[in-house]
Amino acid sequence: MVRWFSMAAGVVFPCMAEVRSTHASAELLQSSKGYQAGSPVEVALRLSIDEGWHTYWVNPGEAGMPLSVEWTLPDGWVAGPLLHPAPERFTTGGLSGFGYSGEVVIPVFLTAAPEASGEVGIRAEVRWLTCSDASCVAGEAVLEASWVEGVVGPGKDADEIASALEMVPRPLKGAALHVEPLAERLRLELTLPGGLDPTGSRVFPVTAEVIDAAESIEFRADQGKWRAEVETGDYVSEPVEELELVITGGGIDKPLLVGWTAAQE
Amino acid sequence: MHGSFGTPYNIMNNNCKWIGWIVAAGLACGTALALEPGDAAPEFTLTDTAGKEVSLADYQGKIVVLEWLNYGCPFVKKHYDSGNLPSLQKRYTAKDVVWLSINSSAEGKQGYMPGQELAEASEKRGNKATAILLDTDGKVGKAYGARTTPHMYVIGKDGRLAYMGALDDKPTTDQSDLGEATNYVAAAVDALMAGGGVEVTKVKPYGCGVKY
Repeated sequence: MVRWFSMAAGVVFPCMAEVRSTHASAELLQSSKGYQAGSPVEVALRLSIDEGWHTYWVNPGEAGMPLSVEWTLPDGWVAGPLLHPAPERFTTGGLSGFGYSGEVVIPVFLTAAPEASGEVGIRAEVRWLTCSDASCVAGEAVLEASWVEGVVGPGKDADEIASALEMVPRPLKGAALHVEPLAERLRLELTLPGGLDPTGSRVFPVTAEVIDAAESIEFRADQGKWRAEVETGDYVSEPVEELELVITGGGIDKPLLVGWTAAQE
Repeated sequence: MHGSFGTPYNIMNNNCKWIGWIVAAGLACGTALALEPGDAAPEFTLTDTAGKEVSLADYQGKIVVLEWLNYGCPFVKKHYDSGNLPSLQKRYTAKDVVWLSINSSAEGKQGYMPGQELAEASEKRGNKATAILLDTDGKVGKAYGARTTPHMYVIGKDGRLAYMGALDDKPTTDQSDLGEATNYVAAAVDALMAGGGVEVTKVKPYGCGVKY
């Protein structure tokens, strides 16, 4: 069992700054300096990426590697998933990829242990891959954060984390995806509520390999539904059993997550 | 039905099962031109680091492993720094398997080295391949559809592609996961040496793009 510290009162943590590694700098943001036992606390990983380089989304596309975090938390604390914002699409050396350039902020909800008390610290070992047109280089950083027990006003990063959470794709009531697997093709049918229009939206497959990264997905209006047809990915095992898509931009104002599984039908 | 999407991306963990990347033998999906398992391995002649010509035809009747190489790629570094690729090369070349490392980096691109320099770099990294070949114009890489380093191909004694794709099921740059990796190339070569069929014949390659 990993025991990162449950600290004695009075020990001061070093003020954490950006950690630079190869072609990016990483920093751990905190929405607050205080926590309450059993309640969530928000953190976010901010990666500032050198110009001309990019990192990768959860589905990296034809090459690359998603960013990963190994958490070291006090006993009973739990880290939620990395909440990636919608990615951008890029092509390097003829290979299609999904990821980020410039700056990306990835929120994570931690939940304090029900019996947590005193000052606590966490550690995040972050690994990522940056690629440019010419090469790929791995980066890594060990980031730390600490909290005191009790209610403390919002920290300096609270607004930035709140904005980043707005960028995280979410399911929407009334939105649904249906997939009809055909021979080497998939027929996608999207239902959207309230007159939402995905024309001109960017569509990204969260599920790796079901749809090749090079394939572009464009929904068109067809008898009250939005439909698209795409080739099945080169490396998926058929029959296709699940697919999640992120849809953003165009007539979709907030990044949308829609999912389908064969089992639900 | 939306209940299952309560937390954004919570399905994602299930999608990361590598088994989903494996395409069973004989399943044809892909463009008409792309090579598939069972196809005849394209012939080629390249020069090794000493400038000597090496042809695939020289090894007719033998099991041949092709490994796309770029020492500047973090995924390739993982398998050399850990000794993983050198030990596979050593193990199989000792059993009369031919192992060809192919560098398709174009001149001026990452990983490109002239013959002498590539020989020295390979010596330093413990590369135990039968030969290390230069494909500077990228023709052989493109003929095979090599997308990444390390992209691996296994050719059977019949001259047909028995396996193509990832080296193993850990598409990371982290050496610590090698202990629990399933090596697809070793599995394919072992099956061919035992005279049996290769179970997993095509897996999505991982790594850095080949620097054509």
